Amino acid sequence: MPIDAAHPVPPNLPRHVGMDQIPDHVPADLVRQSGLTVGPEFLAAPHDFMAALHHKQPPIYYDVSPMGNMWHLTKHEDALFGLRHPDIFSNEGATPFPRDPNDYFYFIPIEIDPPHHRKYRNIVDPVFSPKGVLKLEELIRRRSNDLIDAIEAKAAAGGTCEFTEDFGRPLPVSVFLDIMGLPQAMRDTFVAWAMELLHSNDRAIMGQAMAKITTYLKDAIAEKKAAPDDGVVSLIAHAEPDGVPLSDKEIFGFVCFLFIGGLDTVFATLNNIWLWLAQNPEQRQEIIDRPEDIDRIVEELLRRWSVTFSGRVLDQDFEMRGVQMKKGDRVTFILPACNFDPEVFPDPMTVDFDRPRKTILAFTVGVHSCMGGHLARLEVKIALQEWLKRVPNFDLQPGTRIEYRPGGVIGPEAVPLVW
Amino acid sequence: MPKVTYVDHEGRASAVEVELGDNVMHGAVYNGIDGITGECGGGLSCATCHCYVDEDWVETVGGPSSQAEEELLEAVAAELRPGSRLCCQIEMTPALDGLVVHMPEHQF
Repeated sequence: MPIDAAHPVPPNLPRHVGMDQIPDHVPADLVRQSGLTVGPEFLAAPHDFMAALHHKQPPIYYDVSPMGNMWHLTKHEDALFGLRHPDIFSNEGATPFPRDPNDYFYFIPIEIDPPHHRKYRNIVDPVFSPKGVLKLEELIRRRSNDLIDAIEAKAAAGGTCEFTEDFGRPLPVSVFLDIMGLPQAMRDTFVAWAMELLHSNDRAIMGQAMAKITTYLKDAIAEKKAAPDDGVVSLIAHAEPDGVPLSDKEIFGFVCFLFIGGLDTVFATLNNIWLWLAQNPEQRQEIIDRPEDIDRIVEELLRRWSVTFSGRVLDQDFEMRGVQMKKGDRVTFILPACNFDPEVFPDPMTVDFDRPRKTILAFTVGVHSCMGGHLARLEVKIALQEWLKRVPNFDLQPGTRIEYRPGGVIGPEAVPLVW
Repeated sequence: MPKVTYVDHEGRASAVEVELGDNVMHGAVYNGIDGITGECGGGLSCATCHCYVDEDWVETVGGPSSQAEEELLEAVAAELRPGSRLCCQIEMTPALDGLVVHMPEHQF
């Protein structure tokens, strides 16, 4: 159903939570409480947990969870199909962030299905295209080296490096703020808001975070409207697709979505990769020894360490693998599990830089493929190159017990390093 | 600006201008030409901008520009032919003005 992004209305979709709210059409033998994103087994080793879904659970099961009941799909093939059929698996109402029903807006472009979706992507795609992001290369290299300078200074003064706070977080957030034309002074505040929204697992805290984000971004948009610059907030605020300026609701929904999508994901990706690097000196050396293969190395690491999921809502009754799903059912494609599908990626947990290139789901597929994917690839690549140039050997601090953050973006809480 | 003609699987042709330095996938996506999906935006990860370079142009355009493109071409949904390319990897140069590419019936 086409929606009018300038006049958003909250979706009227049922939310089911808990064992007593399982719809009648769900067969009892497909009901699971898998513990995905919240259970102790998941939080101990989330990627191992998601790889094990292939032999522990059927390829499609109905998950009952405090975060909401929904179908989980784990097969690579099913994800490609579902994510490429927005007419069946719709994005409208599928984004789980709470909004004020009296001041409702759509997250743009993720909640807008074709045909309107392209209109918004065309505004920003040139900035985020492989060529567009190359303009940022020097800036990202400089920011990486500045952070390593600070880490080395701290180490020289007897301090220790906690990777997530000293590098993993500030790098992508700084780059994002530069692209958007927002002030660096807001960096830590932005991270805190994103944490509350994405990791609190508490709808009240999520709602409060959303309110703070809303106030800040509305002011920022008003400023850019009055004084345009070359950042993306200004680009969106002044965009006129087909000669028609975007409405305030569209501008806000677009900027707000980039805020949510851009802050946390590269952060978690870097943290996952550096934890692995610290524990795998031989493959770390392989990365150093094969500089010409950096692009395929990055692609394999993104497959192995994907950090998030794709949620959809069935827009019609649909059957897959003999499982009857109904219109209105919520569906989550477990993207990291799809990247561990042994039928597509044999020996899936092994990091193998010589794997033949295949479609990975780190950035999802279909019309809603991640628009920041090229930026993410570039950031991971530069971070690897600059870090390994200066700190080729490092270990996890002895005695470290790794804990993962609950929530929709998967990464370790802290990665203390020594060298 | 150089022109590219996109011919769909039923033979319908659309000619559009594509900026020098931009790629043939963008030319289709930004101009609303169905038949090229380009869902990953040119990252060599989706194999949904498959095209058949017209045989008169194969020599000028050349084969896959990288090993990654060659590998990913194996993943295209439609039949692979000698002129098959992922058109996000074909960058517009003056020599390509007038290029003709044919689009497969489906991209996935």
